[in-house]
Amino acid sequence: MASQYKTIHPVKYLRDYLAQDIRPDGREFLRFRSASVNVGAISQADSSAIFKIGSTTVVCGIKAELAAPKADTPNCGYLIPNVELSPLCSPKFRPGPPSDQAQVASKTIDDILINSSALDLTDLCVCIDKLVWVLYCDLICIDYDGSVTDACLGALVAALKSLTLPEVQHNPETGAIVVDTSDRKPFPLKSLPVSTTFAIFDEQLLLADPTDEEESLAKGKLCLVIDGPELCGLYKPGGIPISQELLSKSLEKSKKRADLIRKVIEAAVTN
Amino acid sequence: MANTLLSLAEKTFIVHGVDDNYRTDGRNRSEYRPMEVETKVLPHTSGSARLRLANTDILVGVKAEVDTPYPDNPNEGKLEFFVDCSANATPAFEGKGGDNLGTEISNTLTLAYQSSHVLDLTTLCILPQQKCWKLYVDVLILQCDGNLFDAVALAVKAALYSAQIPKVTTATLDGGKADIQLSDDPFDCVKLDVGSFPVLVTLCKNFTFIQIGENCVVDPTSEEEECSAASIVVAVMPNGRITSVVKTGYGSLQPSTLVKTLELAKDIGIKLNAGIMNALKEEDELGSQREIFGFLK
Amino acid sequence: MPFDQKRINGPEVSVPYSVYTDVNKSKSSKPKKSLHKRVDGREHKDLRKIFVKTGVISQAKGSAYIEVGITKVVCSVFDPREIPNKNEYSLQGELFCEFKYAPFACAKRRIHQQDAEEKEFSLVMQRSLEPAVCRQEFPNFQVDVYALVLDNGGSSLAAAIMCASLALADASVPMFGLVTAVSAGFYKDTMFLDLTVEEEVLCNSAPAKPNPPNNHGLIMQAALPQHDQISEFFLVGSINIDCIKQAIETLTVANKNICPVVQQCLVKTVLRALKRKEQEKN
Repeated sequence: MASQYKTIHPVKYLRDYLAQDIRPDGREFLRFRSASVNVGAISQADSSAIFKIGSTTVVCGIKAELAAPKADTPNCGYLIPNVELSPLCSPKFRPGPPSDQAQVASKTIDDILINSSALDLTDLCVCIDKLVWVLYCDLICIDYDGSVTDACLGALVAALKSLTLPEVQHNPETGAIVVDTSDRKPFPLKSLPVSTTFAIFDEQLLLADPTDEEESLAKGKLCLVIDGPELCGLYKPGGIPISQELLSKSLEKSKKRADLIRKVIEAAVTN
Repeated sequence: MANTLLSLAEKTFIVHGVDDNYRTDGRNRSEYRPMEVETKVLPHTSGSARLRLANTDILVGVKAEVDTPYPDNPNEGKLEFFVDCSANATPAFEGKGGDNLGTEISNTLTLAYQSSHVLDLTTLCILPQQKCWKLYVDVLILQCDGNLFDAVALAVKAALYSAQIPKVTTATLDGGKADIQLSDDPFDCVKLDVGSFPVLVTLCKNFTFIQIGENCVVDPTSEEEECSAASIVVAVMPNGRITSVVKTGYGSLQPSTLVKTLELAKDIGIKLNAGIMNALKEEDELGSQREIFGFLK
Repeated sequence: MPFDQKRINGPEVSVPYSVYTDVNKSKSSKPKKSLHKRVDGREHKDLRKIFVKTGVISQAKGSAYIEVGITKVVCSVFDPREIPNKNEYSLQGELFCEFKYAPFACAKRRIHQQDAEEKEFSLVMQRSLEPAVCRQEFPNFQVDVYALVLDNGGSSLAAAIMCASLALADASVPMFGLVTAVSAGFYKDTMFLDLTVEEEVLCNSAPAKPNPPNNHGLIMQAALPQHDQISEFFLVGSINIDCIKQAIETLTVANKNICPVVQQCLVKTVLRALKRKEQEKN
């Protein structure tokens, strides 16, 4: 009965729940879903992580390759994050070139990483102006159930944290390159930025860590990125305005959440 | 494939005929229809052939171009198949209608020629890592009367047999750059060794609505294809070895049937290979002055 | 690589570092050794351990996850939709399969678009599954099946087919039976079952002296073991007929042996679904 009601009146269905101060999956408004991460499951990738928030699942695999640096940044390596929202993860997506959502997600992740100074691209330099590392980070969404940005960033950070790169000997004169795969050094990641998503409903109602259903019915979205004790990114793409008071409340919540996520990632990587 | 509309009664008639080893055109189950093949019909290509199998009409052109080898296989040449299902053949091929079938046939050819026992791609290499020959095999389906796979593979074999690759007289490395020179005499050419090239044998199986045991037919007409739920396409080398097996259609088969089908395909494939080679040799004996019929007939 | 406006692009040329590794050091385990004893310690006719699970993707109608050795594949199936770009009414429903390797799934990085091999495998998947699906139940509709290989440890096509058949069953698509698939490879006179990547490469390369001819090649056989039917037989290489016969026999037995594992998983799925229904009632 409930499922028919949900299909016919999705908005009313959700509203009825919210009027009772509860969400369809039984959470309170500002409760997050449980998050888990698994590192290094994929043998063919240089490092990998699977990040789950509730049923949202994102797999990140990193492949390291060598290339010549850009002329204007001769001592910087490349970090190429791409988010793939494949048709596998949700009926919303069709095969073919990346959808708008996927492009936005890729760009958001890229911006967060560049701005958070979590990693220093000069660490990826092997020989100035000659040879640098390229990290192809492919983020594939397996299950699209809301807060995908959070899961993507979590997977990427966990994969980067566990990444090791082999020792490269480069002779600048002859151009000869020898890679010793037995000697791998961990990649220095400066910090662990964590993002948290909120869905904004009218009446200035805020839902933490929305599911896909809530996300698609919400009037707006708010995404906060916390790096250490500081706020390093805030994305509020349009939608209805939000009050000062609500923003500071969400900031407080997301700080606590970030601490938890950071612990989860660190525990997974050290194991 | 080509759209042939058949009523239930017509299908039953065909299937019962197959059961009695007597097909609608008078053949038995393992007989091919008459074929005609002519090579060198297109003077602008390196090699070409036109093959008619009853009303199925195939034109194949082979072009050789100089290319750079893949970094993974620096001392191998390249071979590429492209099958174009022309809208002339049947209205179903209009627009993008023939694309799927075209890909299916070219994939099957690629698989059949993949083994280095068939065509040693290293023979197509000129200078390792620098230059190699790339053979483009373009297949054009002009008319379609069933059994496209077999007809295409035979035509491809004939075209590759007639293909003449210019002789390379000098190939040197000059300061890291390849420098090759071809023979001045346009008739000074290298021929491919087609001695181990496979042919495809299609065996139509599992007729819809009536299970007819282990009977299968070779060289199906388009009407017979319409009655079939599954066909096995087998690539057979002249020495009887099998280089690829692909199932087409939506049906399934029993393991014992599959084994028998493959054995039958092997026997037929050997005969078919011998047949086409005989025909090509006979044509060769006519010499270079033979009259080219092309499409005049 | 063509410039892709819709993705973040890396440098034009980049080389995997494995190119520069010291060949003598890294290739200590020559693949030829596996002719006597396989690298992972299996007998030639042993299969790897299989783990299957259904219902892994909440947004899909049906989904499944499979692990065969280190090969990992996820597969999802969605609600039927009308066949796009078609004006004629088709009496039988259609299956649309998409097989894709994740960019990081293989030793060499893959591009995001489907390449020729993946397209070929998509077709093989479709042909393997079609005989098992009651397509007359959904005329003029198409069921989409997507398979993604997360980690390629060999035989990923066979794994994807099994995974897809479970996902179809999980999505309650009417079917005649389950589809299982096993791969085999030949190198000279040795037959391997359930190949790893290294063995796939070995069997794909022809042995040096072709005279007298040596066997080499790969076989993938998909079957409906409950009905003793072969739904797809896919062979590449150069193998003589007697070896193929032997392979069909072995593969048919192997398919029958796998069947209970897959069935068990399905029983669990059904029990779970019943339990959920019960809960909804209360």
